[in-house]
Amino acid sequence: MLEYLVRRILIMIPTLLAISLIVFLIIELPPGDYLESYISELQAQGEEVDQKHIEFLREQYGFDKPIMTRYWEWITGMVVGDFGFSFEYRLPVSEVVGDRLFLTILVSMVTIIFTWIIAFPIGLYSATHQYSWGDYGLTFIGLLGLATPNFLLALIMLYFANVVFGTSIGGLMDPEYIDQPWSWAKVVSVIEHLWIPVVVIGTSGTAGMIRRLRANMLDELQKQYVTTARAKGLPPLRLLLKYPLRNAINFFIADIGSLLPNIISGAELVAVVLSLPTTGPVLIAALQSQDMYLAGSFLMFLASLTVIGVLVSDILLAWLDPRIRLAGGAAK
Amino acid sequence: MRDLIRRFPAILLGLGLSVGASGAFATTVPNLVEVPYLKPAVKAGKIPPIEERVPEDVDVFDMKAWGKMPGKYGGQLKFLMGKQKDTKMMMVYGYARLIAYDHKLNFVPDILKRFEVKEQREFTFYLRKGHKWSDGHPFTAEDFRYYWEEMANNKEIARKGLPTALLVNGEGPVFQILDETTIRYTWAQPNPNFIPWIARPRPLLLYRPAHYLKQFHAKYSDAEKLNAIARKENKQNWGQLHGDRDRWYRMDNPGRPTLQPWYNSVKPPSERFVFKRNPYYHRVDEKGQQLPYINDVVINLGATSMVPARTGSGEADLQARYLRFDHFTFLKESENRYDFAVRLWRKARGSQIALFPNMNAKDEVWRKLFRDVRFRRALSVGINRPEINQVIYYGLAKESQNTVLEESPLYKDQYRTAWTEFDLKTANKLLDKIGLTERDDEGTRLLPDGRPAVITIETAGESTEQTDVLELVRDSWRRIGIKLLSKPSQREVFRQRIYSGETIMSVWSGASNGIPTPLMSPQEFTPSSKLQLQWPQWGHYIQSGGKSGAAPDLPSVKLLVDKNKAWFRATDVETKRELWHEILTNHADNVYIIGLVNATKQPIVIHKKLRNIPDEGVYNWHPGAYFGIYRPATFWFATDGAGKK
Repeated sequence: MLEYLVRRILIMIPTLLAISLIVFLIIELPPGDYLESYISELQAQGEEVDQKHIEFLREQYGFDKPIMTRYWEWITGMVVGDFGFSFEYRLPVSEVVGDRLFLTILVSMVTIIFTWIIAFPIGLYSATHQYSWGDYGLTFIGLLGLATPNFLLALIMLYFANVVFGTSIGGLMDPEYIDQPWSWAKVVSVIEHLWIPVVVIGTSGTAGMIRRLRANMLDELQKQYVTTARAKGLPPLRLLLKYPLRNAINFFIADIGSLLPNIISGAELVAVVLSLPTTGPVLIAALQSQDMYLAGSFLMFLASLTVIGVLVSDILLAWLDPRIRLAGGAAK
Repeated sequence: MRDLIRRFPAILLGLGLSVGASGAFATTVPNLVEVPYLKPAVKAGKIPPIEERVPEDVDVFDMKAWGKMPGKYGGQLKFLMGKQKDTKMMMVYGYARLIAYDHKLNFVPDILKRFEVKEQREFTFYLRKGHKWSDGHPFTAEDFRYYWEEMANNKEIARKGLPTALLVNGEGPVFQILDETTIRYTWAQPNPNFIPWIARPRPLLLYRPAHYLKQFHAKYSDAEKLNAIARKENKQNWGQLHGDRDRWYRMDNPGRPTLQPWYNSVKPPSERFVFKRNPYYHRVDEKGQQLPYINDVVINLGATSMVPARTGSGEADLQARYLRFDHFTFLKESENRYDFAVRLWRKARGSQIALFPNMNAKDEVWRKLFRDVRFRRALSVGINRPEINQVIYYGLAKESQNTVLEESPLYKDQYRTAWTEFDLKTANKLLDKIGLTERDDEGTRLLPDGRPAVITIETAGESTEQTDVLELVRDSWRRIGIKLLSKPSQREVFRQRIYSGETIMSVWSGASNGIPTPLMSPQEFTPSSKLQLQWPQWGHYIQSGGKSGAAPDLPSVKLLVDKNKAWFRATDVETKRELWHEILTNHADNVYIIGLVNATKQPIVIHKKLRNIPDEGVYNWHPGAYFGIYRPATFWFATDGAGKK
């Protein structure tokens, strides 16, 4: 086990290096740079552009250096925890992202829990009552959630929340609570705003989870050990939870790998529409304005979380399910 | 309002003219009334009472002359903004400048008590005695010296030398401190752009809070220590650290004192910035109340696309940024649900949408055609402007060339109407005369080398307004045998492709200042910058003093360059006015840029209780600073509570 762990961790290093190179190159790929989009933005407003100032920024931001030098500085900086500088914010990247991390994790965690609470009972019900009206009905609703574009749903819910409940549009709290210390009123305001993104982001995830749980359960329910247990007179609910469900949730553990980066990046598009103070909109804006160190470091962060998440879920799987052997994975 | 702006006074910046404080009639200072909001701080001894806070020669704002009325203290003004860097709008709206435009576009002293100009080359500034920064430290000639000696002339901070606005033929001014409140800048040659630059929305800032910034300057602090802090914050050296702490334009460093009416109190990054009243602001009303009336200005950030919706749900007290004309009906509908009114202000661009034939195009055939004035004229009269106005702007805009607007004292009807009448016959005749007589099966004319005349117009790819207008242009151009294709490109590459000549024609907005006075530079209408889309190479040539780009070779354009130079040297208003008219006539005649419509409307959402803001106004960057020219420090709420229901 220990040897396996060490090997996996060592493999992560070249993986991440390769990812960093790809990320950097792709961000560099489009012609122009941050300053070009900066000039355009100034021009669009009619602001004057002092060429000297632009040249000064070009030098200050290191755009005059060759690409490999910049890559090297970025990647070596990251090793010591220096993620570079955001041009748009004129702040170190870590400050920009760190500021939004807490609320992002909050939204994602609540959404994930919401998804589980909805998806698990429905998945179980659908599997045990296959092809019943209830199965069709719930599946229909689940698929509807999957099929509706998230941003559209978000807009509709925003409108109703505003018109019916008078909730302020967008954000995670009423504006007057931003940057204020936590208080009961602030918590209430957050809850008032939180349900919209949770429901919107949750609905799309729910359908997928229902279908997968249902399919896995159906596989298990056909098996002989279930029939045997039933024949022996085990109570149906206990039977269900103790045997087939435990076998059916392997996919769920394997999902943790992709869950981890999701917690940090959240659903970007919905977050933009709802103007949530999460990290998603920052990433999108950074990519649009070619704020390259912010975008690059962010993507690297997500990549690292994916790699770590996959490792964690592998270990968890091995630990939970004795049928899975380590050797198979490592031998190749 | 329109009349006020049109009435152009002759007193501007004449020879040796001295301009006094805006209360030019030496109003006596009324008894000062303490600000209720600041009373607790005064009582606690944190700040001195009002008598000691305002300058000795405090400016008494003449409300009547501005068509305003004295107001009441209090309230909170909410804006919606998009990006972190939008905090800069408070530097723009706040609009405290050494010298500022008043509502009639005169230059009046603002932070300065008065100023004197000799031969447009010697500028003497008199500060107000006892004027203080927002932290209570005296504002003196030392702050000007600090900028000049320790920043503008410091190699570590100003790596590229003096800002362009301070250079005349590559030479900077002589800077003198006459006494603690008097300073002088002298050039060998006239520098007519000096004062306009000081009054701009993004001004040439000649002073800095020396007492605050010295701690980040290697001359006054330990360079090693500063460099260490800089490295910790991902900056290369102390120079960058100094620049970061300064950030005068973004105004987002809560520690840096300012002279603006409001200062920022929130450390970035944040989604909400609260700007608090500057207790040391240099202006009072006739009742002795210190401006600004409004205590806090709050900026809430969020996705720009959501700004109209949020504004429509009553989240802003005053909003224009990120609102477009097509949001008007939606906003109007929610007017009754919330306490705001939607007004339409006029925009002051030379042209809302203009087509830029690239006279430096790489394609030889097109380049030759675009340099032929007959071709440009044909394209211009081949456009049905009334139709565009009706379809896209509900007939509220004006069909016009890219030129000055009616509000400008330089306006003449002929500038607007030259070559704008929709006239297919003339257009076809002109094109035939050029020799483009052959046509293909579709009726598209053939170029001399046999290719069909297909003009690909590149857009910066962000506005549907532009593509909608191009659709209409396409229809009418088809009838003169020119085919139009539009191609969205990305901001980043848009300008590069034009500069390198790959783009033959582009669409963008026209002159950014459509309401110039003779004292404002005509350089926008002459080759002056590589960012000019109709002649980027020529512009670059002039901008770089002949080092890069290509020299203009069209006689009429060469003439423009000469006229601009002459304007720069001229020291009296009349000569300047004449030169302006020559330039505008040249433009109208030659149609370098094909303007479509101007004087389009900008929806402004104003809280119903907000006072001293006109219902009709001009919404423009320069001159104007958007709301700045209407002096937001004088805005007030009719009752307390800032629109809370």
